[in-house]
Amino acid sequence: MAFQFALQRRANTSFLRSSLTFSGGLLLGLLLCVALLIQAGVPADMLFDDLVWQVFFQADGLAQTLTLSIPLILAGLSAALALRVKFWNIGIEGQLWLGAIAAMAVSIYGVGSDSYRWALMLVAAMAGGALWIAVPLWLKERFHASELVVTLLLSNVAFQLMLHLLFGAWRDPTQSFPISPAISEPERLLKLGFGNLHTGLFASIGMVFLVMWIMERSRFGFQSRILGSNRQVAEASGIAVGTTLVVMVLLSGAMAGLAGGLLVAGTEYRLTQHLGWNMTFSGIVIAFIARLRPFWVLPVAVVLAGVYNAGATLKVFYGLTEATVLLMQGIVLLSLLWCQFIAAFSIDRRQEVSV
Amino acid sequence: MSFISFWFASIPVSALPLLLACLGLILSERSGVVNLGAEGYMAVGAMSGAIVTLLTGSPWLGVGAGVLAGCCLGLLFAFSVAVLKADQILSGLAVMAIGLGLSGFIGRHWVHQPFNGMNAPDLPGLQQLPLLGGLLFKQPLLAWVSVLLVIVIAWILHRTRIGLRFTAVGEDPAAADNAGISVPGMQMLAGMLCGALCGLGGAYLSVASAHIWVDNMVAGRGWIALALVVFARWRPGRALIGALLFGAVDMLLPRLQAQGLQVPVYLMGMLPYLLTILVLVLATRSRYRDEPAALGVTYLRQDRH
Repeated sequence: MAFQFALQRRANTSFLRSSLTFSGGLLLGLLLCVALLIQAGVPADMLFDDLVWQVFFQADGLAQTLTLSIPLILAGLSAALALRVKFWNIGIEGQLWLGAIAAMAVSIYGVGSDSYRWALMLVAAMAGGALWIAVPLWLKERFHASELVVTLLLSNVAFQLMLHLLFGAWRDPTQSFPISPAISEPERLLKLGFGNLHTGLFASIGMVFLVMWIMERSRFGFQSRILGSNRQVAEASGIAVGTTLVVMVLLSGAMAGLAGGLLVAGTEYRLTQHLGWNMTFSGIVIAFIARLRPFWVLPVAVVLAGVYNAGATLKVFYGLTEATVLLMQGIVLLSLLWCQFIAAFSIDRRQEVSV
Repeated sequence: MSFISFWFASIPVSALPLLLACLGLILSERSGVVNLGAEGYMAVGAMSGAIVTLLTGSPWLGVGAGVLAGCCLGLLFAFSVAVLKADQILSGLAVMAIGLGLSGFIGRHWVHQPFNGMNAPDLPGLQQLPLLGGLLFKQPLLAWVSVLLVIVIAWILHRTRIGLRFTAVGEDPAAADNAGISVPGMQMLAGMLCGALCGLGGAYLSVASAHIWVDNMVAGRGWIALALVVFARWRPGRALIGALLFGAVDMLLPRLQAQGLQVPVYLMGMLPYLLTILVLVLATRSRYRDEPAALGVTYLRQDRH
């Protein structure tokens, strides 16, 4: 049979085409989300008010949005670092939980003195996250076990570990819910006097610039770019593949762990089982929309935090569950992926003669 | 004695949804496509199965709805990777989120409503048999359908033309294309069947075992099924063994608790996941690496050598 059309990979996509398809995909996804919300009974004239005005232009809403953005920024960085070297980290939640557990452990066992324990908590959180991603990295390099499945399964293990502590040794006996005791006053991150916003925001913004420097200015960033696009080429050209991979992947885990530490030290002041849900997927969505550029992670994470914030309103007023926010993220990601087709391929009309 | 027979009887509840999802994933991976949507297909399967059973009162219609819902979502994914050549892993994650999201979004009015689901047929003499009576004869009919599906899918894969085509596309898409097999066509078909089987697994959870639908009912089973595929070495028969083993470990804990034993519940809860990781490592290490050669590779006709 003659094949009339043939897909051709575009060798170099013009900037205009790639940015137009990308914005087109984003717009399409957002429009579908709006249609979904209207269908679900959110009045169309309230959409702007609920989704934009309340969460970005009202002091209370903006403070809450920025507070929510702190772990999202770090999750986005975590996903970007891992995606850059094609390490599929589907266990950001697990690393976040390990980070939260490590931070809480520093507080419970009273390591160091009161004056700087908050810093130790955050360092422990990063170490916890890095440790939790080191296992799948080792299993992948040593035994070729798929990191995709192992990172995810380890998230389940981390969650069980958290429950074990919350229902056992770390349970606050004065509470009816299984939560840990609150951390002491000096261990808490300072409030900025703007809603619940705390200094953790500076930590995550600092990390954006650190990761930006690593990914775009340092040797590792350059090497990881080659490694991410083709491992064989990277190995053949004498790049320290192992070191680059270890640095980028451990850093990815550390970012996720820090997100957990900041949630404990800045927002919740204790370990609870409600920390960090859906951070894996949100992190990947943020990194993808930011096109793995650390700087762009920042605004994208803030926008997504706004959506999460608005999601709380949708839940109260229109009875929509958290699943709605997840659904909207899925729709936007899929629509972006679909529209990339236009940037990546051209369709050639061919007159092939049937043989 | 009764401990063991009760434990055995509870294994299929955990094992069979996993088995069904694993069968679907085997089909998908055999045709060269990594499908991370399983969790989402199972979620929509469980949700639509419950809703249709609630609306019509017929569990079989519910199961059909679960299959159909999974199939539709599977088609969405397959279109994305086979036709639009989008990244398989990112597409899978997106479809997973859409499935989980849709199940929560559509199902929000039907949550926590018990219904008359599928029950085990009455087989008085046989059910009282020692040890295996409960395991074999106290199961809903869907359990037998699931085991039958193992045979059917093994037969399709190894004995039919269409099964060989799946394998050909997964091993060497260029050669398959040269032989006149439509690579996107086979991958679309595999994607639909994968969604349908995962949807059936989800419907098993709500319609045949829990008789209720709650949010987050699938609870990571789709991912475990993905690991099970490696353990099963892409073979349906071994998937049955793997799923039963996993189910046995998974159901041991509730049985021990029912005996009134003091066990570290959450540490024991890690066991299935840790064992899965161990099995995954051992399976990838083994000399028999049966992974389809073109797994995860996006095939373009122009890339042929």
